[in-house]
Amino acid sequence: MDGGIDMFWWIWLIIIIVAAIIVLVIYYYNKIVVLSNRIDNAFSQIDVQLKKRNDLIPNLVNTVKGYAKHEKGIFEELAKARAEMTSAKDLKGKFKASDHLSNALRSVFAVAENYPVLKANENFSQLQQELSDIESKIAYTRQFFNDSILVYNNTVTLIPGMWFAKLFGRGQKDYLQTSQAERQNVKVEF
Amino acid sequence: MDYSEYKKTYQKISFYDQIRNNKIKSWILMIIIVGIIVALMYIIAQVYNPALTFVFLIIGIVFSLLYVWIGYYFSDKIALASVKAYEANDKKYNHLNNLVDGLSLAAGLQKPKVYIMPSQELNAFATGRNPENGVVCVTEGLLDKLNDKELEGVIAHELTHIRNLDIRFVTLAIVLVGLIAIISEVFLRSLFFSNSDDKDNKNILFLIIGIAIAILAPILANLVQLAISRKREYMADAGAVQLTRDNTGLINALKKISKYYETNEKTIANKTVSSMFISSPFSGKSLSNLFSTHPSTESRIKALEAM
Repeated sequence: MDGGIDMFWWIWLIIIIVAAIIVLVIYYYNKIVVLSNRIDNAFSQIDVQLKKRNDLIPNLVNTVKGYAKHEKGIFEELAKARAEMTSAKDLKGKFKASDHLSNALRSVFAVAENYPVLKANENFSQLQQELSDIESKIAYTRQFFNDSILVYNNTVTLIPGMWFAKLFGRGQKDYLQTSQAERQNVKVEF
Repeated sequence: MDYSEYKKTYQKISFYDQIRNNKIKSWILMIIIVGIIVALMYIIAQVYNPALTFVFLIIGIVFSLLYVWIGYYFSDKIALASVKAYEANDKKYNHLNNLVDGLSLAAGLQKPKVYIMPSQELNAFATGRNPENGVVCVTEGLLDKLNDKELEGVIAHELTHIRNLDIRFVTLAIVLVGLIAIISEVFLRSLFFSNSDDKDNKNILFLIIGIAIAILAPILANLVQLAISRKREYMADAGAVQLTRDNTGLINALKKISKYYETNEKTIANKTVSSMFISSPFSGKSLSNLFSTHPSTESRIKALEAM
């Protein structure tokens, strides 16, 4: 009996190694899936905030028009930016449009400074605060998106993750480009 | 800071280690304390009626499990009730809720409930056993005195505590230590009322138990100190900077808070809550750094400025 076990120790070794590899494959596959899902979720969070901003704009336009309807320039810019947002198809286009919309909104609030009666309007000041907060949230969701991409890219480029990533056919993902303004500070004040 | 600076700094810190550490330590803590409780119940059984040892152990364990379960699951409600906090539901707290929401989005966490503590002191705490049941509480004074950037620094610090599962670990430690204190107390008091017939046997055991409790108590107190380790505060500060990508908000907030406490009284808060406050509610001058629950504000600011 003793002779039997000693002779085939190398079979046990192979079994252990194979088992370990299977465990690692499952571990890394799941990890990559979880991180990838997190990225998708992060992206949908950005969309949620973009939509919230879009939905508030008609209200803003109506309120401002009530006091400053001759300021045609800002309304045109706003309408153009909104159209850009709805027509944008890919990631890059969406964020270019989003930046244009941020700028257009900034112009509206800059012009509103000249109309003290408008500024005193409660609806207007609430909208201003809410839109400013949404701009912050858009920046934070983009930040989380990029963070998620960083973690994912680390996993698929460091050893041993990169071997498994190649096995599953996964590559690195792209970061979101941030606008110059956002690089300075996350909080966007109007 | 820009993205490449961020990558350089934060590729090195792994908050995942901190989270994993807290999970492991929580389990170790529970096992140790359960062991101590079993030992205690066994000794108590020997004093009264060795034949009933099994019964004592069962009663002890059931009671302990109930106590810990209730204390742990309701720790957030207990903490909030003890400081008379109310939920920030009113429209005037929209902006505050937006700030918390924004930072939660940055952290990839579920937005915690937001509560207000009716006090003019400048302080904040987080509670809740996991991110799904998180609560952040700020004082009315804090809302008045801090600007948006500073407030965000404080909120981000508290959110990091929630994410790192610090709160779970500290709450467990406090509840479990409290449980042992109760068992010891009940036992000691009951001995005074026992009749003196079989006092001979009991005297020796009583002595032994007295000594055992005297030895256990400081060890347990130390366990709690370890649980409320100051490393957690530094990690929470680092986490806050990672979320806001800026250290000035939290630095200025800490400066304002410590300045406030230079001239104002600290109301001694419930022990359960004190470890989670951003600024230790106990007066810092007399306590040496080794025994205080928070590192000094100066060292925290120094650490933040280096980020």
